Amino acid sequence: MLIELKNVTKIYNQEQVNEVTALREIDLTIDDNSMTCLRGASGSGKSTLLAIIGCVFQPTTGRVSIAGKQLSRLPDRFLTLHRRQYIGFIFQTFNILPTLTVQDNITLPLVPLGIPPAEMRRKAAVLMERFGIAHRRNFPASQISGGELQRVAIARALINNPPLILADEPTAHLDSRLSEEFMHFMKDLKSAGKTIIITSHDPLVTEHADVDRVLDIKDGRIDAA
Amino acid sequence: MNSRLTQHLNILDYALSSLWRRRAKNLSVLVVFSWVIFLVASFQLVTQALTETAASVLRSTPEITVQMMSAGRQIGIPLDVSRRLAGIFGIQDIVPRVWGYYFDEVSGANYTVMGIAPGRMPLLDRLQLTLEDSGVYDSESRGKAIIGRSIRRTMEEKGSTLLSMFRPDLSQASFEVTGVFKSEVDILTNDLVVLNIEDARDLFAIPSTMATDLCVYVANPAEVPTIAKKIAETLPGTRVLTRSQINRTYQVVFGWRSGFASVCLLTALTAFVILAWDKASGLSPEEKREISILKILGWETADVLAVRFWEGILVSGIAFVLGCTLAYAHVVFFNASLFKPVLIGWSVIYPEFRLVPSFRLDQFLLVFSLSVLPYLAATVIPAWRSASVPADSALSGM
Amino acid sequence: MLLNSWSIALLLCGLIVLFLMGLAARSAIRVLLFWNPESDSNRQIRLENEIWLTSTLVEYALGIQIISLIVFVLAANFYSQSIAGAMCATGSLLANSFGVPALLVKIGGVFFYGFWIVLHQLDIHSEQYPLVRKKYLYLLFLIPLLILDLSLEILFITGLKPDIITSCCAVVFDDATGGGSNLIGGFSHGLSMELFYGTAGVLIGIGSFLLRQRQRWMVVLFSSGWLWFFLLALAVVTTEFSSYIYAMPFHKCPFCILKPEYHYIGFVMYFALFMGAFFGMSAAVIEPLRFVDGLESGVAGYQRSAVKFSLLFLVFFVLVSSYHYWRYILIGGEG
Repeated sequence: MLIELKNVTKIYNQEQVNEVTALREIDLTIDDNSMTCLRGASGSGKSTLLAIIGCVFQPTTGRVSIAGKQLSRLPDRFLTLHRRQYIGFIFQTFNILPTLTVQDNITLPLVPLGIPPAEMRRKAAVLMERFGIAHRRNFPASQISGGELQRVAIARALINNPPLILADEPTAHLDSRLSEEFMHFMKDLKSAGKTIIITSHDPLVTEHADVDRVLDIKDGRIDAA
Repeated sequence: MNSRLTQHLNILDYALSSLWRRRAKNLSVLVVFSWVIFLVASFQLVTQALTETAASVLRSTPEITVQMMSAGRQIGIPLDVSRRLAGIFGIQDIVPRVWGYYFDEVSGANYTVMGIAPGRMPLLDRLQLTLEDSGVYDSESRGKAIIGRSIRRTMEEKGSTLLSMFRPDLSQASFEVTGVFKSEVDILTNDLVVLNIEDARDLFAIPSTMATDLCVYVANPAEVPTIAKKIAETLPGTRVLTRSQINRTYQVVFGWRSGFASVCLLTALTAFVILAWDKASGLSPEEKREISILKILGWETADVLAVRFWEGILVSGIAFVLGCTLAYAHVVFFNASLFKPVLIGWSVIYPEFRLVPSFRLDQFLLVFSLSVLPYLAATVIPAWRSASVPADSALSGM
Repeated sequence: MLLNSWSIALLLCGLIVLFLMGLAARSAIRVLLFWNPESDSNRQIRLENEIWLTSTLVEYALGIQIISLIVFVLAANFYSQSIAGAMCATGSLLANSFGVPALLVKIGGVFFYGFWIVLHQLDIHSEQYPLVRKKYLYLLFLIPLLILDLSLEILFITGLKPDIITSCCAVVFDDATGGGSNLIGGFSHGLSMELFYGTAGVLIGIGSFLLRQRQRWMVVLFSSGWLWFFLLALAVVTTEFSSYIYAMPFHKCPFCILKPEYHYIGFVMYFALFMGAFFGMSAAVIEPLRFVDGLESGVAGYQRSAVKFSLLFLVFFVLVSSYHYWRYILIGGEG
């Protein structure tokens, strides 16, 4: 069991005028090597849920366990250390740095780890080959196509070989061809043993054959239906 | 440890690329910073060069100078007082000096006229070396003079071939100029006239039993304070000056002049620090986005702080090297034309001496402390603010 | 003597350190009042974030304090040119009653700031951040030290009168002249050398033992030994080794070895001594933290590294400082 949330609540701006309860008493278990989709309108709390699973911040109350490690009440530093080891992120609009080259973008997660540059380049090369973007290695990211950007984003998420991949509205700005290509990559990753969680309300994602479970988030709760 | 080093090297690499990617902003800071360091460093180099020049000039002066005082002013000293000093152990030689200031009404300049007794002044045989090629120093003959370059200039302007000066009774004394001092010794000789001691006595109407002051030469420099004290005790009514006292006085004067200018430079520095703070504080939306992406990819706050630290070090390091190099060039090749007037003070005759600064680690550390440290301190809080951008702002719903 | 570049640089460094540590202290007070790791409020998140600010501020303050210490000694050397009877920094420092205390407080400050950084590093390596309160309380205690530092510095500089006679190092450190003007004396030559090499040997012995097997009382002994050795080494360098470096029997001064004429060897020696002493003493400083939750392995790990580094620096220091002395004894002539 890779991910477990018990009675997790998240309140922003606690005890202030603009207090907001984003998540209420969430109980959730996600198995290894599965693909789960979190669906909900904006403001439903799905991004907050993703952030908590992604060790970006702490829940206000409740327990979170990722890859066997209790994460509740850990200082931010240790969340980060856990995140860099176990979790790879793919974002909406990919969040690639346009002024860096493709290779530099992919190796970004490795920079603070003390890995020698040659080793970083080698790992990046393997992934670039796999995703067919090796010929773009030294191009600034602003000069490559949308499809290539997508692959860079996935390669970057995989550079640390994390067991858990989180994708935040990955197909929101993509056409159907690229969306299908994206899901194809996710299927491959699942076959390779990864656990994947995607937030999306795109039917191309939620109704995909390889998605094991779709969870509807509404008003901070998981819809029973 | 190995991976810590690699970690910092990787972060340094990222910092370099980050600086380059925002080169417009960083370049403006770099240029201004280099300029400020240039000012501070030139200033320090000039002060140091002048201090060292003064010290080297003083090295050849007598260890002790004895002057007779009356009502707080210097008067002539009778030669027979040297007999009373004979009993003081450690004195090598006592040499009388006749010298004074001569005011030339036409040029409005004060000349220093020095009378030298042949054979008495130490190192006199070296005087010939300080003259321009055609110059001849004849210590025995009367009616001959050696002059400094600016005096020659004045004579050329007047069209004179002889150096004419007026005695107290307004009768004229004329001297044939047999030599001119080289430009390298301008700092000492620019306004100097060297005469035979009897000629000097004659010019100033000083009797043969008197001298202007006495030079006391001492073998062991460690004994100078003791001997100076004994002389003062033996000869009440005299002022006993040691070489180190003169040196200290120069140091204090240079010190306060340079301190005054340092304070002025501090305003430039403060303005720069405010600029640096302002530039560092402004986080554009792209920069915020970049940092939140880094954070979500697993970079700690400490890692982003390390990037900012290295950026600061790189900018200040480059500015420091550039500023110091330009300062050195300014002092050596342009003779510190920006600062010399402040430090050298007023004079009708400006000596054209060259400044020779030397590279000393302590001077660099001083310039570093006055420039780089305030800059780094000013960037701490902006650096932390930028490193504190939260990771969740990279996520869509946040 | 305020109006010269060195004084301005010193005061600037002092004010910068005061500014940085003042900000850190403000943060420290907030942490001590409101820290609640169980809470998820915005304030707690902000406080957790501020930990990075305070640590950066203290690290910068330490760096600047170290530079300030060097600038202080170099400034004292500069002032000696304007003070009658002072041949070098020693004379300046003795010109009024604030010079030597200012130097000692600065040296102490370097060690105390360094210890804070060690505490901080230990703290952030444990998931519970168990030392937060202790760390910030300690930081608040550093502020009076800082103010004392700056005050003594200002009193020293403003108290310098260029025409006051003072003793220069040849008088102060010369064995031949006894009496109250002797700053460092009282040890015979043979005894001080025996103590020096003896203590170094004992430290190497204890340190080697500690690297194999940790014993609490040995750690305390090691660190106390380092404190003793630090003070002893400063005395021995001054009274014994320095004159061999200068090749002048009556020139005994701890500061002139920092000058370019002696190839800045003083910097190398003092760097090794300070680093060795810092690592050696810090081993015992953190010993009480061994029993704090989550810190056991961090403390043990740091102590091992600290002992190792302190021994390396010790050997290096002994070799470099003794070189001129033994060269003279064995071969004769100047080094």
